[in-house]
Amino acid sequence: MLGHILGRLGQALAVMLVMSALVFVGVYAIGNPIDVLIGPDVSQDIRLDTIARYGLDQPLYRQYFTFLGRILHGDFGRSFVFGMPVLELILSRLPATLELTLAAVFGAAIIGIPAGIYAGYRPDGLAARAIMTISILGFSVPTFWIGLVLIIAFAVELQWLPAGGRGDTFAVFGVGWSFLTANGLSHLLLPAANLAFFKLALMTRLARAGTREAMLSDTVKFARAAGLSEWTVLRRHVLRLIAIPLVTVFGLEFASTLAFAVVTETIFSWPGIGKLIIDSITSLDRPVMVAYLMLVSFVFIMINFLVDLAYVGLDPRLRRAGSR
Amino acid sequence: MSGSTQPLLEVSDLATYFHARAGVVKAVDGVSFSLKRGEVMGLVGESGSGKSITGFSIIGLIDQPGRIEHGSIKLEGRELVGLPPAELRAIRGKAISMVFQDPMMTLNPMLTIGAQIGLALEAHENVSGAERRQRSIAALAQVRIPDPETKIDFYPHQFSGGMRQRVAIAIALLHRPRLIICDEPTTALDVSIQAEILAEMKELVAELGTALIWISHDLATVASIADHVCVMRYGRIVEAGPVLDVLTRPQHPYTQGLLDSLPSRAKPGALLARGAGTDAAPPPRLPRQAESGKRSADLPYVVIENVGKRFQRKSGVLRLLGQKLGVAGPLPLVQAVDAVSLSIARGEALGLVGESGSGKSTLGRMVAGIYAPDSGHVLLDGEHVMSGGERPHKITTRIQTIFQDPFASLNPRMRIGDSISEGPLAHGLVSRAEAGAYVAQWLAAVGLDPAFAGRYPHQFSGGQRQRVAIARALAMQPDVVVCDEPVASLDVSIQAQIINLLIRLRQELGLTLLFISHDLSVVRHLCDRVAIMHRGRIVESGPAGEVYDNPRDAYTKRLLAAVPVLPVA
Repeated sequence: MLGHILGRLGQALAVMLVMSALVFVGVYAIGNPIDVLIGPDVSQDIRLDTIARYGLDQPLYRQYFTFLGRILHGDFGRSFVFGMPVLELILSRLPATLELTLAAVFGAAIIGIPAGIYAGYRPDGLAARAIMTISILGFSVPTFWIGLVLIIAFAVELQWLPAGGRGDTFAVFGVGWSFLTANGLSHLLLPAANLAFFKLALMTRLARAGTREAMLSDTVKFARAAGLSEWTVLRRHVLRLIAIPLVTVFGLEFASTLAFAVVTETIFSWPGIGKLIIDSITSLDRPVMVAYLMLVSFVFIMINFLVDLAYVGLDPRLRRAGSR
Repeated sequence: MSGSTQPLLEVSDLATYFHARAGVVKAVDGVSFSLKRGEVMGLVGESGSGKSITGFSIIGLIDQPGRIEHGSIKLEGRELVGLPPAELRAIRGKAISMVFQDPMMTLNPMLTIGAQIGLALEAHENVSGAERRQRSIAALAQVRIPDPETKIDFYPHQFSGGMRQRVAIAIALLHRPRLIICDEPTTALDVSIQAEILAEMKELVAELGTALIWISHDLATVASIADHVCVMRYGRIVEAGPVLDVLTRPQHPYTQGLLDSLPSRAKPGALLARGAGTDAAPPPRLPRQAESGKRSADLPYVVIENVGKRFQRKSGVLRLLGQKLGVAGPLPLVQAVDAVSLSIARGEALGLVGESGSGKSTLGRMVAGIYAPDSGHVLLDGEHVMSGGERPHKITTRIQTIFQDPFASLNPRMRIGDSISEGPLAHGLVSRAEAGAYVAQWLAAVGLDPAFAGRYPHQFSGGQRQRVAIARALAMQPDVVVCDEPVASLDVSIQAQIINLLIRLRQELGLTLLFISHDLSVVRHLCDRVAIMHRGRIVESGPAGEVYDNPRDAYTKRLLAAVPVLPVA
């Protein structure tokens, strides 16, 4: 087990290194940040001076190694636009996205998994058909459109919920969280629902497919033959049997939403990192882009690692390598 | 009503239908029988006869689109048909319980044995945590699981097949039910484990006074446990009565046919009565076949010399590092086959018998050139089967293999005609223009309609698929065929047909066979010589009659003693 963990960490480091090179070179190919930083009417002296100050006159590999060395010291550079350390900038925006993502993913799981299990348990029922029809909508309707519809319906017409922003936040350990205040919660609801819709459909379909298969298995037949109630069969047997694909998708969706909540954050002007990265791309704020992409790959690797650990926790067959 | 004369279970005119889109399947169609307290009844039939569905109907577990159409099931006078689900559930596991065929599938791999017994216990009783553990341990002890205090925290994968089936039986016995329905409970187990389970089950049933319905396709197993037997076909009981009467003086032609298809009741090597009468065309021969056949038949034809094979689990990164640094040893090797030497004469059929894990399939695959041996070599007619060098590969087409499961060995997306002609085309045995006719000849030779060449594997029954697999192997014009459990997954009557086909083709083509099987009676019927394999070694070999009648090795003796025998009139 320890060997497995160390092996995975080694893999993670290698992936991060390759990622850093790819990201650095890739971003280098996009435009010249100097054109954005200083006006075209500035004198040549000041221009050269600025280029030298940001190290942009160095050859590419030198810039890369300087960058790598700084990262090892936890220094991702300063944002060209905001003039503050990038790490600080990203970490100040991260809680907003984290909160939105967690609300969306957990919401989708809490509603989607039971709905899917029910639809798989009674596949011919009216409720099951309704659930499956809605889940097809979740797959096929684009997220941005649902976002706009939500705003028109709940913010503009009904005026129940605010259309954008984070609302009031409550600080814990110096970080502001929206879900701790009623006003913040009302701001969180619409964007989280918007983000959750696709995941909800995915979880529902997965849980349904798994349940249908599990209900036909000998394990379930044997449990029923022993007189277990249907509720116990579903809760203790079926849920465990279908858990692994659900955990996989949960992890993948969590990581990808954390990284790419861009569209929803833009529609609901949610001040998270998705909005930050869009702003950085338009202003060619290179250090922010690089650090963001590095963070994204780190998050993906960590979540996959946690999913692997969850597999071992869920399936005893993976636990001890010695026994069959 | 007096309790002593009333039957425990009375099933009358039971009909269970499945309403599928394609039509109604009458799985059980008017079944009646009754069972006294403590009585053991065998329910025998081939697949699709409705025997399992009868069991599921009694315990109230018929799922959509199935439905009990009419009839009655009375347990101690109480009607079970039409009871609300909650009342049926209260009966399941408490008054009637069930054991299934495959203990690998019935236990939940994610939960400990203790948790699963606990759930079954809580289904009918309120028990405290400590009591639950205590009673779970007692339940395991009752089915003779050694060291139950430790084993209770094990997961199913940490148990062998026989132990898992014991756990399932422990769960079935938990609430001391009056009736246990066993659906093929020993079919997935080795004969020696089957013998143990049969003996224990008999004892437990006698001790607890539980009645038993033993569902099986195997007449011999039923004969060794049941008092009464019902023979089912097409959803009906065709014959019923005391076991001895039914098996020694069968009245119904179907029962007679079932008995006739058993190789254990026929003269070795003779065509089996039930499978006879399949008229098939002679197999096509290609010129190459005729050329070989010049050498003396006395010389060993297939020589297996000192062949060994080890399997090793892949090491993790850290262990590899540890091995490099010398602080960790390599993982233990599994010696699947350990220095085996055998020879097969031209035209001979050698039976290779062993239980699961004995290494018989691994040995067969090395003979067939599928696995490269770690040590030793296999020679055919003086020539190596495998090439030398770093990556040895098979260099002859003269040895071919027929596998157990034709559904797994035939490509599901390939028309069977293409499956059959694929090898001969690749090796230039036939030209593309001749391929169609060649395939048609082979289909006719294995008793299939040549027009079937355009069909896919899923459009065939199990027996037909095995015929296709045989045609595919023989279309390569081999001299030697390795048969790895070719009839193990087939019903007895289909098994008889395939055995007859193999006997006929072997004679007509002068084939040399290595026949791998766990079934001693099939091997005796088909093979001239037999080799018994145990833990990677050959413990005994010799002419079939001699080994069966006078086994010398202790393991062979035990194996032969474990085989249930049919009563003879």
